[in-house]
Amino acid sequence: METSEKKIAVVSGGAGGIGAAVVSRLAQGGFVPVILDRDESLGREVLARLGLQEGQGAFLLVDVTKKPQVHGAFERVRAEFRRIDVLVNLAGGTLHAKLIQDFPLKEWREVIDANLKSTFLCCQAVFPIMKTQRSGSIINTASNYGVTGSATRTAYSAAKAGIIAFTKSIAAELAPYGVRANVIAPGRTATQRVMGQYDAETWAAKGREIPMGRAAEPAEIAEGVAFLAGDDSGYMTGQTLHVNGGMVMP
Amino acid sequence: MKRLEGRVAIITGSGQGIGKAIALGMAREGAAVVIAEIGEANGLQVKSDVEGLGGKASAIPTDVSREDSVNAMVEQSIKEFGRVDILVNNAGIYPVSPIEEMAEELWDRVIGTNLTGTFLCSKAVVPAFLKQRAGRIINIASGRALQGAVEGAHYAASKAGIIGFTKALALEVAPYGVTVNAICPGVTDTAQPRGHRTEEELYAMAAKIPLGRIGQTEDLVGPAIFLASDAARFVTGQMVIVNGGAIMW
Ligand SMILES: NC(=O)c1ccc[n+]([C@@H]2O[C@H](COP(=O)([O-])OP(=O)(O)OC[C@H]3O[C@@H](n4cnc5c(N)ncnc54)[C@H](O)[C@@H]3O)[C@@H](O)[C@H]2O)c1
Ligand SMILES: NC(=O)c1ccc[n+]([C@@H]2O[C@H](COP(=O)([O-])OP(=O)(O)OC[C@H]3O[C@@H](n4cnc5c(N)ncnc54)[C@H](O)[C@@H]3O)[C@@H](O)[C@H]2O)c1
Repeated sequence: METSEKKIAVVSGGAGGIGAAVVSRLAQGGFVPVILDRDESLGREVLARLGLQEGQGAFLLVDVTKKPQVHGAFERVRAEFRRIDVLVNLAGGTLHAKLIQDFPLKEWREVIDANLKSTFLCCQAVFPIMKTQRSGSIINTASNYGVTGSATRTAYSAAKAGIIAFTKSIAAELAPYGVRANVIAPGRTATQRVMGQYDAETWAAKGREIPMGRAAEPAEIAEGVAFLAGDDSGYMTGQTLHVNGGMVMP
Repeated sequence: MKRLEGRVAIITGSGQGIGKAIALGMAREGAAVVIAEIGEANGLQVKSDVEGLGGKASAIPTDVSREDSVNAMVEQSIKEFGRVDILVNNAGIYPVSPIEEMAEELWDRVIGTNLTGTFLCSKAVVPAFLKQRAGRIINIASGRALQGAVEGAHYAASKAGIIGFTKALALEVAPYGVTVNAICPGVTDTAQPRGHRTEEELYAMAAKIPLGRIGQTEDLVGPAIFLASDAARFVTGQMVIVNGGAIMW
């Protein structure tokens, strides 16, 4: 198949726990995944594990909080693959959790930048490409905390709530071009990073607090992303899909 | 690979409109479908449409607002197909009326069909779902649940009620791996809006919808299949809003 005929999916944070599952699911769905991440060894490992050769997938080393790097990366993807059908913004995370009076401004900015600014920059960079194509689907990542808030996670909750409202705004801006933008909101998800914060007993106890009795598997979040990426959700834009086992029902 | 191979799906009100599209869509994905519809002739027509696709279907005349009718329908479904895996509560009515003229009888009929019908059908399948520790309930609510409707207070109340019911039932059955979700369609080109809107009004609405058109029944099929399939096994108590961006919630 010619490169120009393949569907291209750019995944920021694609080297991470949920990212790897998303990359795998999209590849399985026929997309050529392009990972943007600042962790090169993990990113390349994700592609290698899927057995993706040159042209079937790509990794670009990018700090998605840096505008020149982000815009440069999207230019490279456009030059190499000619199009971008799907953009999934997963880079981010809680990074710092502490009470408000102890939250240094520097750390606040890091959290906002990693989650919200990175989403803004990647969306801004993909705009002209998807507009010209007159098609595309953007999936930004929030969290149940973007709806409920969470003690010690002021910055993270603000960033994730920001992502939801940001996504509605770009959904309205992009709709005339046939481009859609929606949010995936994972609940607690069993990634190595998150599981690493608990001992096995606490992790299991935390799982029992969730109506379905456990945390999400990264693959289950990836299924939600694949739904939002594809034609099955073709008439959905500006919406948030919560995949959380009933933990939060906004 | 078909996503609903071997499943049995009951779709209420599937003699026409959105329910019919979902029934056909689920049949294309391999499900045997039960057309639980009050309009007998339409029900039989959809049954033969499904069979025309090579699918399995049963048309069971049902009034979702009557407990005996609902229970008989679920019983017969299980007798015919051996099991039931998916329930789509889609049957609904929207007879517009300004509040000052809204007869109690009309109020009761709208709540009775839309909300009580959803309760009765759910109650009737839940024992089987709990026993098999699997099952999907998909309730068709509406954007009107979120933003109200002029001359539709009964309808908006019934649909908002469905959302509350969806969340409560989701909590109740989650320990059994059963999920309950709602789909909120925006205005969709069926007999329902045509009952109280002119062609011009209907299409004028398209101009205000970000994606530039009103919904077609086919737009609801992908979301319904997603929620019914393995892919959505960890999605429960949620609203999936399918309206071209008309309301972003
Ligand atoms: N795991 C959960 O429980 C959970 C719950 C809700 C939401 N989320 C969200 O899902 C997304 C993915 O989370 P995860 O659990 O896979 O986390 P993760 O830490 O495993 O992955 C995050 C990835 O983003 C990359 N990244 C972070 N900052 C970056 C930057 N500035 N530039 C480039 N790459 C950067 C990291 O290198 C990593 O590969 C995040 O947005 C997170 O907030 C996760
Ligand atoms: N069309 C829209 O714009 C729209 C928007 C939001 C929500 N909805 C909802 O979608 C669902 C389907 O609506 P539609 O647009 O396809 O309408 P429709 O009127 O074309 O179809 C409704 C079907 O339900 C059946 N029905 C009515 N009462 C019944 C009863 N008591 N028992 C069994 N069957 C019964 C009808 O005979 C009909 O076949 C409804 O719940 C409706 O409220 C529709």
